[in-house]
Amino acid sequence: MKKIMIVEDDSVIANELQLLLKSSDFDAVILNDFENAENEIIKNNPDLILLDINIPFINGEMLLKNLRKKINTPVIMVTSRENEVDEVVSYSYGADDYVTKPYNPTILLLKINALFKRCDQNKNTISYKDLTFDIGKGIVKASDKEIVLTKNEIIIFNLLLSNKDRIVTKDELMTDLWNNDEYINENALTVNISRLRTKLLDLGYDNIIETRKGIGYRII
Amino acid sequence: MKYKDYLKDNIVSVLIYLFTTILLVTLLFAFKTNIYLLIICIFLLLVSGFIISLYSFLRKNSFYKSYLNSLDKLTEKYLILETIKEPTTYEEKIIVNSLYDINKSMIEAINEYKRNTVEFKEFVEIWIHEVKIPISSMILKCHNQKYDKDLLSIIRRLDNSIDEVLYYVRSENTEKDFVINEVDLKDVIRDVSIKNKDDLLLNSIDFSTSINSKSISTDRKWLEFIINQIINNSIKYKKEKDSIITISSYDKEDKTILEIYDNGIGIPRSDIKRVFDKSFTGTNGRSKVKSTGMGLYIVKKLCDKLGYNIYIESEEGNYTKVIIELGSNDLYKI
Repeated sequence: MKKIMIVEDDSVIANELQLLLKSSDFDAVILNDFENAENEIIKNNPDLILLDINIPFINGEMLLKNLRKKINTPVIMVTSRENEVDEVVSYSYGADDYVTKPYNPTILLLKINALFKRCDQNKNTISYKDLTFDIGKGIVKASDKEIVLTKNEIIIFNLLLSNKDRIVTKDELMTDLWNNDEYINENALTVNISRLRTKLLDLGYDNIIETRKGIGYRII
Repeated sequence: MKYKDYLKDNIVSVLIYLFTTILLVTLLFAFKTNIYLLIICIFLLLVSGFIISLYSFLRKNSFYKSYLNSLDKLTEKYLILETIKEPTTYEEKIIVNSLYDINKSMIEAINEYKRNTVEFKEFVEIWIHEVKIPISSMILKCHNQKYDKDLLSIIRRLDNSIDEVLYYVRSENTEKDFVINEVDLKDVIRDVSIKNKDDLLLNSIDFSTSINSKSISTDRKWLEFIINQIINNSIKYKKEKDSIITISSYDKEDKTILEIYDNGIGIPRSDIKRVFDKSFTGTNGRSKVKSTGMGLYIVKKLCDKLGYNIYIESEEGNYTKVIIELGSNDLYKI
């Protein structure tokens, strides 16, 4: 389980973030001792840091600058200031991504997943049972057969497979599609899912995408 | 200033001088002074009087003439003190010193207002920064508790209204506090689209884009605000059914043109020229949904500052198309 450190002084947000991350199968730790933020973070050895710019004792950007001298953990900067300066400074100090409050929680999760994926280099293929899914080419191979997926189907299948232990909500799927410039509606999502099912059936996998009515989908 | 005017201003002195001269000549005549001496006296008195007045006129004239000339040439009249001649006479000194004092007190008064405006702007920025924190909490809570999408839509409306204030304050300020960077137009459109995703889906709007992946020089946050405002309007003034919003971009000469099209209720012909006016609500803004009339005004101001042209084409009951010429921005490139 990946460990994410939440550096955020607003306790309501910190707690809600922790809840959000835990519900997505991450181990989320909240930083409490801002005075020794740098040491605390290093001691906790997280896989990713969510770093708010406006924190007590030290500015988030300075903290990032100091951290970068010691560790290379991916960092997503969070701010509520609507301006470009913070963004530019954050990137120059070594931030990997940047979000502005109020952020879309699903987008934040997608960004976190994307960062982890970037870190695991040989994640261009996902295996499931005896299927191998080449994400870049969009090809799903079974023992003797292979099928080619469309862009939408690749996005959907990838998100389902990457979260195969839990239900992926419709909103997550839709957000991921929109995040990849596929601005489709829910009917189109349903159509895409059923096409994906038909294609998987060709490979001999009947009904591996389960519908949870009103919630979302899950790979079984 | 003319010599005649100068004499007119000093008419009393002239009359006293002439009266004294006449009196003196009469007295000399009465005492039977030599006629030649009398003529010499008259001549000397008149000539000296004339020379004295002319000298004093010329001196004054040279000061006032250059003063009026430079005042005439200046567009910022308050800078007159910088161009004025060094005062030589007591009178000139009084004028220059009083101008200096007047200027100084005016500058102080203006600085006071300036400081107040800057302080107010800073306060608004800090306040918005503060208020975004509870809004973030609300959004996270809604998401975690799986509340209704309607509630999220209300929070987004609140967030949009707050942004309107922020960008109004920024657009009204004279200093340029935007940062120009190279951004991909596609990324900007994606962020705005996702921001409005739920509202677009909730309103069953058929949303599509055709954007070339293209790097443009802009302030990303400003451009996002501009496009967001326009999409919000398209959602607000949509037709009952079969709504479409399309965002497309293409190149025209050295410019990138961004078009946001909707098949909504459109804008009446009589309103279209005034949509960018401050506080203009128009027929739609009054009848359909309450509007502040500030959204497009701010959009126009931001576009002006970024050097973009923005137009609106519309046919009532049919469509509205907002066209933004993003410009080549070569000016900003180093």
